[in-house]
Formats: sequence, structure tokens, C-alpha cells
Amino acid sequence: MILGLARLALFLFVALTVLFFLLRIYARSLRREALEEEWDAGGITEDRDAFIHRGMAAYEKSLFVKLFWLVYVIPTVVISALVYFLNFYQ
Amino acid sequence: MLRKLKWIMLTLLALILGLFLHYNLPQTDIVRIVGTSFRGMDLGWENQWAFSAPESGSNTANAASRDILFIDTVTPSGRPSVFRNEDTAWGWPPYFKFNSFDLQAAAGNLASTAEAPKWVAITHYGWRIQFLTIFPNAIKVRQVESPDVTIIPWGSIIILTVLALLAFLFWRMWAQFHERTIEPAMIEVEEALDAVDARADAAKAQARGTWGRFTAWLGTWRAKPRK
Repeated sequence: MILGLARLALFLFVALTVLFFLLRIYARSLRREALEEEWDAGGITEDRDAFIHRGMAAYEKSLFVKLFWLVYVIPTVVISALVYFLNFYQ
Repeated sequence: MLRKLKWIMLTLLALILGLFLHYNLPQTDIVRIVGTSFRGMDLGWENQWAFSAPESGSNTANAASRDILFIDTVTPSGRPSVFRNEDTAWGWPPYFKFNSFDLQAAAGNLASTAEAPKWVAITHYGWRIQFLTIFPNAIKVRQVESPDVTIIPWGSIIILTVLALLAFLFWRMWAQFHERTIEPAMIEVEEALDAVDARADAAKAQARGTWGRFTAWLGTWRAKPRK
């Protein structure tokens, strides 16, 4: 029982960590592309690289990036709920 | 040929994925419970994969030779349908079932005779294969009004939706990676190759020299295409 739980926790942690980093890289890439397109649309006097650099720095500090921690939270909550509802709820 | 091979591989992959989902996703049958029992089983390499580990918390030393709980049922059309009733605990498939003994009591409580049938919706996963003596694993039992009630498979709907969303997400991730990382790298490689090509052409032109003139002279002895 304890060993099984430890094994599940280990596998889940590895899989979710991969997902966590993939999601972060993907979202960052989308944000950078959007910033590039914004600059390329014209009307911004700032240097292109400086504009993107500043935009990315603001993005890294935003609340949205912190939401990626839900990758760990949601499965834990779902599994806990499943254990309760599948075993102890009538 | 290669195209055919690709299709064969894709079909095989789809088939394996389909079988995997069909084995692991929950299904609900409506049955009449005849009785519950436990039987000592000596599992072999052929059927052990379709049984769980011993009940959660138990010693796992004799996993292949132990008592296993069964729920014997009959379908509304009168066909027998036997379910095993085992914990999946924290393992695969992720049903997190620890209550097999409670389920056994609940199933026993719902047992009925053919004369006064109680219809029971039994949720399970897995296959019954007589050749291998393997059984689907019951997850949940509940009484229903009649054998023809409609059951909406919410569990499968939710799981398949989540899987589809994940597949879509990975596809978009790959597309983004391809567009932003692979394509620029390919263009760079192409430009580098073009530069190498141009240099090679220049070198070839320079290296023509004596040998080049000799092979050109040999070429003049080749048959001309007829008019």
C-alpha cells in the first residue's frame, strides 16, 4: 500500500514535471511570437529586441505563469476525489 | 511499398490504442447477481497480466496463488457473466479501488433469483476471455429499475475528452516547435549548404585543368544521338 503509493507519486511527479516544462516552454513561445507580431505591425518606436525583452520580462512575472503550478495541483485533487468517491461514497 | 507499410503501421497503432482503451475504460452492464464467491486461483503467465496485485496492504509474495473474489451474474438474456472483484489500489488501471471486500458485500446484498429479479448496473473494466480464464474487474454495483434503463457512460466521455484535449495540446506544441525552432534551423542549414555548393562549383571550375580537358576530349568520341 505504501510502496504502491510511493510508486504512483514518483511516476506522476516525473510525468507532470515533463508536462509542466513543456507547457511553460510552449506558452513562452506563443507570447514571444505575439510580441514579435505586435512590433512587426508597426507603430512602436522602441528597438525590436528591447521591446520583446521587456515584454517577456513582464510575462515571466505575470499571474498567468503562476497558473502552471495547477499542473501539479489538479491531478492531486482529482486523484484524492476519485479515491473518496469510488470507495467511500454511496 | 513504403506508403503501404506506413498505412499498415498506422492501422496497427490505431488497433493497439483502441484495444488498450477498450480494456481500460469503464463499461456498465445490466445484470442479475446470482451470487458471490471466492476461489483459490493458481495464475500462470498467460492470465496473470489480467489480474491485479493482491489486495491493498496484503503480502505480495504469493501473488500468483491466492484467493480471488468473484461476482457471478446473469445478463437479462440469460447468458452467464462472471466478474472478478479485486483492488486496483494505486496501480494500473487508475480506478483507485480499495474496497473490493465492501463491494463483495454490496453485491451479495443485491443477489436475486430468476423469479424475483433485482437488476443491477455493474461498472467494470477488462475482458472475459474463456481461453485464458480472465475476467473483467467490477468497480461498482447499483440497483436499477429495469434491464432497459439508459446508462450514459460519463466516465468514458470525460476520460476520452481529456485525452483528446491532451492530444490536441501536444499537436499544437509540436506545430509551434516546428514553426519556431526546426524551420529556422532548416533554413540556416540550407543557406550554409548553398554556400558550400557555390564554393564547390567554383573549386570544380578551377580544378578542370588537364584531366578535365582529357575527359572532355574522350567525350567527343561518344556516339552522337541519331537524328
